[in-house]
Amino acid sequence: MVFSSIVFLFYYLPAVLAVYYLIPSRYRNLWLFFVNLVFYGWGEPVYVLLMVFSIALNYGSGRLIGRYRTQRRKKAKAVLAWNTALNLLLLIVFKYADLLIGTFNRLAGTAFPLPGLALPIGISFYTFQTMSYPIDVYRGDASVQKDFIRFGTFVALFPQLIAGPIVRYKDIADQLESRHETVDRFASGVERFVVGLGKKVLLANNVGVLWDAYATAASRTTAGAWLGALAFSLQLYFDFSGYSDMAIGLGRMLGFEFRENFDYPYISGSITEFWRRWHISLGTWFRDYLYIPLGGNRRGLPRQLLNILIVWALTGLWHGANWTFLLWGLYYALFLVVEKLFLLKKLQNSAIMCHFYTILVVIFGWMLFQLDSVGEVVRYWQAMIGLGGAGLAEAKDLYYLRSFLPSLAVGTICATPLLKSGFLRLPERVRAVLTPVLLLTILVLSTAYLVNSTYNPFLYFRF
Amino acid sequence: MEKNRNKIITALFVCFIGGFFLANILLPDIEFSPNENRYLQRFPRFSFASLADGSFTEKAELYSSDQFALRDRWITLKARLELLQGKRENNGVFLCSDERLIEPYTAPDEALIEKRCAAVNALTDRLNIPVTLALIPGAAEIYGEQLPAGVRNDSQRQTAAEVYSLVRTGHVDLGQALEAHRDEYIFYRTDHHWTSLGALYAAESILESAGASLSPNKYAPRTVSESFCGTAYSTSGFFWVKPDTIQVFIDAPQGLRIEKYEDAKPVSAALYDEEKLDTKDKYRFFLGGNCPRVHISTGKEGLPSLLILRDSYADSLVPFLLDTYSQIHLLDLRYYRASAAQYAKDNDIDSVLILYSVSDFVSDPSLDLLAQ
Repeated sequence: MVFSSIVFLFYYLPAVLAVYYLIPSRYRNLWLFFVNLVFYGWGEPVYVLLMVFSIALNYGSGRLIGRYRTQRRKKAKAVLAWNTALNLLLLIVFKYADLLIGTFNRLAGTAFPLPGLALPIGISFYTFQTMSYPIDVYRGDASVQKDFIRFGTFVALFPQLIAGPIVRYKDIADQLESRHETVDRFASGVERFVVGLGKKVLLANNVGVLWDAYATAASRTTAGAWLGALAFSLQLYFDFSGYSDMAIGLGRMLGFEFRENFDYPYISGSITEFWRRWHISLGTWFRDYLYIPLGGNRRGLPRQLLNILIVWALTGLWHGANWTFLLWGLYYALFLVVEKLFLLKKLQNSAIMCHFYTILVVIFGWMLFQLDSVGEVVRYWQAMIGLGGAGLAEAKDLYYLRSFLPSLAVGTICATPLLKSGFLRLPERVRAVLTPVLLLTILVLSTAYLVNSTYNPFLYFRF
Repeated sequence: MEKNRNKIITALFVCFIGGFFLANILLPDIEFSPNENRYLQRFPRFSFASLADGSFTEKAELYSSDQFALRDRWITLKARLELLQGKRENNGVFLCSDERLIEPYTAPDEALIEKRCAAVNALTDRLNIPVTLALIPGAAEIYGEQLPAGVRNDSQRQTAAEVYSLVRTGHVDLGQALEAHRDEYIFYRTDHHWTSLGALYAAESILESAGASLSPNKYAPRTVSESFCGTAYSTSGFFWVKPDTIQVFIDAPQGLRIEKYEDAKPVSAALYDEEKLDTKDKYRFFLGGNCPRVHISTGKEGLPSLLILRDSYADSLVPFLLDTYSQIHLLDLRYYRASAAQYAKDNDIDSVLILYSVSDFVSDPSLDLLAQ
């Protein structure tokens, strides 16, 4: 199930919330555990079993590690190693099997059949989420969870189940035990959720139509290629950050508090900064569970550069089972390394140049991220820099520009903190009236698009 | 202040999602949407098999949006919002001047045209009677300049010209005939079909090419409906545009007999089916709508017999042919699956007319059956 659907918004959510607030608080985790499985099983009836297996595996490992942790360190370490390997194996089998076997076939000239397994929704997210729990127990950062339902509620918690943010057990362990659902928290959850819904349905889907028009075009002019690339950059940001907003909002409605996942990434002045503002929970995860254990920056510069390379190769691949994602990760590793070595200091000289450079790198990067093959990426890049051979602009571009100018303009403004800071400068009284009115407007408009639209794919849905 | 604001926000949200939750559950399901001209999804039957293969949830998602309370209002709201942003398109349909709804045309690739033409040639080779091909360019061709600049809208007359150059049959240039009358009411604004007047001008040039004649000035129109909202209307969601008028120019003559064959047994039918004017799809007024095979005895003795291989445009053209032929046979290849050539031989056909809109000609694969 996705949040931006009629089924979720007008059937599932009212039912979940109504029962949640009618039953005594000691049954609420059990209720959440149950509805999480319904939420997941809606799109993946069979893979619910995989999810339950994953819960059981990490629950069991957590308890074993907890038992051995203090006296029998070696045994605890062995359990941890096995558990991590099993988690990664599941991820590899269900996500990367086709890619690995297909590549092997091509290199070795063999013809092993591809398993062709459908990717279980959200497996990349929940694998990382569950995997970190036994590690935290081993490190003493989290205490063992003995209640299976509580642990299951954490893993399958529907707000962040399929597209993040990646919530770590230690961050919400206390909240699983007891949390305070209040009107204030609920209202702030509603605000976040509705804003996220608007980002997804009104902005992302809208400019997504423009991107589709150019992504599939046989040839593109320079203007057209830029129009498409801009549209996709906005689409992806609003799609994904909208999803995170909705997740955080839903969490608050149920009394949870998740960490932020986005912080206006497109206003960054360097790539280093961009990755502190984009998909924060993923960057933090890789930092805490891979980069720092590899030695981070504590073992000299050459080792640090190698660590960056490893982390970003895997970050790239995490995003999808295609070698273009590996290249996309390495593309960022390159810029991060160059910035670390000397560029970051140079960038501080000019505020305009550093923003210009950052947004260019990011936009070119998205094409590598989104297009299916290196050949297509190169063709698209060529069109962007005027070597596509289709000229500067054509009538079609003008038509699309005219049709999508309002969406692009609104999108660009909303990708910066301008609107928010302007709103916060209004007098408290005005805001108190304006907020409900705006929220209701967004809700009504989003509903209109949802009822009409079959065009409603989630970009980060298949990760 | 803060507390009140939060109570209001909470109440608004809960009422909104809870209110529609109840409304959707309590309101009776609607079987058919006249505006969209389709049957809406009913609540799917649950089974473990349908859950496992995903068809249950897929249908339930469709159900939830199809049966959403006030569905038509929501769709209109969305269409208006799109216009407000400066977009003149919704669901692939453009709102042009004078509230004309146009769906642009995309030309197929060369190979597809060649395939269709080969089928037409195969039919011609199997018959030794005259075969005439007449392709109808739609409103997107005649009024294409009303689309916003830069929208892809390929030339239908160009496609027709390519087809004509590849077939070994006679052809009629309907593009020219319709273009000459572009200032008249020859296409419905809300539907892809031509009006009876458009059909009249087309009939004039088709008959001319067959050596007969028709004088358009002889006929006076009679309005039968002023509330026709066609398919482009349904797809677009522009539910506020004014409806079309349906007119007829010829009344059913004495001695006319029409038999429709849904299966082997014929059912007698009328030239105009008045009952269809009370339904949504009012174009079915002409000959009562789609049918695999129609046999018309005009009541005029001693005239030739004609076989028309056709799409639905022919339904409103037939009235103008009644004075020229004794027998008119209509085959719709989407439903009639046997050999058309054999049919022509079995029924003493004197000439064949292949009458299709350009967009149906290129998009309807059943035309390839002509070769059999």
